[in-house]
Amino acid sequence: MSTSPETPYFAMRQLHKHFGGINAVEDLSVELQRGELVGLIGPNGSGKTTTINLVAGALKPDKGSITLDGTNMTGMPAYTFARGGVARTFQVPRLFNRMTVMENLIVPALTDAKTSRKQAERRGHEVLAFLRLEHLARALARTLSGGQQKLLELGRAFMLRPSLLLLDEPFAGVHPKLLEQIIEHIRSLNADGYTIVLVDHNLDAVRSVVRRTLVMARGRKIADGASDEVMQDPAVIRAYTGTRRSARTPSAESLD
Amino acid sequence: MTNRISFSHGLQALLLAAALLAPLIAGPYWVHVGALAWYYAMLASSWSLLAGYAGQFSFAQVAFAAFGGYASALLRLRLGLPLILAVAAAVIMAMILGALMGALVLRLSGPYLALFTLATAEIFRLILVAEEDVTRGSLGLQVPGLFSGDSDLPYYYLGLSLVVLTLLAMNGLLFTRIGLFLRAIREDESAAQASGVNTTLHKIVVFVVTSGIAALAGAYYGHFVGILTPNMVILPEMGLVIAMAVIGGIESLPGAVVGAVIVYGLSEMLRDYGEWRFVLLGLVLILVQRFAQNGLFPFLERHFDRPMPLPSPTRNALDIEGEHVNLS
Repeated sequence: MSTSPETPYFAMRQLHKHFGGINAVEDLSVELQRGELVGLIGPNGSGKTTTINLVAGALKPDKGSITLDGTNMTGMPAYTFARGGVARTFQVPRLFNRMTVMENLIVPALTDAKTSRKQAERRGHEVLAFLRLEHLARALARTLSGGQQKLLELGRAFMLRPSLLLLDEPFAGVHPKLLEQIIEHIRSLNADGYTIVLVDHNLDAVRSVVRRTLVMARGRKIADGASDEVMQDPAVIRAYTGTRRSARTPSAESLD
Repeated sequence: MTNRISFSHGLQALLLAAALLAPLIAGPYWVHVGALAWYYAMLASSWSLLAGYAGQFSFAQVAFAAFGGYASALLRLRLGLPLILAVAAAVIMAMILGALMGALVLRLSGPYLALFTLATAEIFRLILVAEEDVTRGSLGLQVPGLFSGDSDLPYYYLGLSLVVLTLLAMNGLLFTRIGLFLRAIREDESAAQASGVNTTLHKIVVFVVTSGIAALAGAYYGHFVGILTPNMVILPEMGLVIAMAVIGGIESLPGAVVGAVIVYGLSEMLRDYGEWRFVLLGLVLILVQRFAQNGLFPFLERHFDRPMPLPSPTRNALDIEGEHVNLS
């Protein structure tokens, strides 16, 4: 199924998700074209991770619909999303700790019944070479350092051969040198045609990578557009300074 | 890796040979004890697949065994089914119930799963006690034997064959990608789902397989011992199965078999000490947990199987860490 500009590759329409009395995501509509690289930012508690969980199928929306490549995916289990080409990483890496690095990688590949273990391992070696982690293939995942765990999680996501890659705070707690490496990986993946959504607090890192930025606050989308323009948007400035400085400045509203 | 596999296989072959030859030197009493140990071996190894591999810490394993025992006996006695059909039907029914149990506990984990399965097992025990017309309640249900003659030797070898067959079947399952997926689910269910693993299906599969094996073990037990009572399902019985799996190696199926033989053998050897033998068994459990946390079998595997010149993978990872771009 090919996507023309009119029918976006991925679309979520009027999505709602609440937990008890809290509206984590409210009336959220987003469309992504194939090959886009989009940043999703917002202060703590603005609904970014809930959005990622909805896009990955880990949470089911209370209202609204999700379509992927023309297929209605609303309410499908997470593994169907994964096999449909949506791969994700987690804010804190969630690896299969007591399994080797290679075993971590071949799990997603083997969920395709047609892929043999040999083929999966060959692809695993390719991914490890790409991430420069080849020497760790037989190490247990839990023996890896924090940064290596982030890379391995990224590698595990690649193993699904995803068309939509959701990265939840890939830069958090990462050494500057590794940060460069991760950004380089993200750029080269995008150049290869992957659609990528990048969630982070790190505005500068996000801005340096993406062209389009979505901003969320209190569960709603408050801005969506070219990164540099979005950063100048008064609503965005208010949302950010409002939470960042609320402890020090009595009235954030006075800023605009 | 190859070293380790060959050592493990060698050890298993040796233990199997010992089990085959043991009746030559053991008297009838120990043959009887051995034949009973095979019942526990099937329960402990299937439980270690369920809990150790798949992370489903269920307390209902003995209930499935009792179900298998009662169902096959009643199908023979009440409906006159031939033995093989009765046992097969009991196993299939247990597998269906296992699927149901698996579906019911899908969203439960850890202590919630343990409590749910414990309550289910207790309800089943009380049904066995209460339904006197069918089960003869606490008096126990008489089950016809399988072999004529007084010797327990045929049972010993039948039990041993069942242990070997069920181990091969479970190992075969673990050798496929299903084994890998089960471990992934145990490690992190959300990550497994995000990797495309149908966690629902695989959790149900593991309940189906292990419930079927428990039921087969129960059917063997019933026909061997000749009487079934609701006491098969009491909590200390489940505790014994767990202790066997933990002592032998909760993530090692042959380890659980070894654990069953050791624990059941010890408890018989120490019979003269009355209740004190359970104190001693508790001590063994504590010592194993302290000094060989993964159980005795994996401990032996590691101890005798060090590929000397090569550093272990873990060690390797740590050595090279410094050289790589590092990190938070």
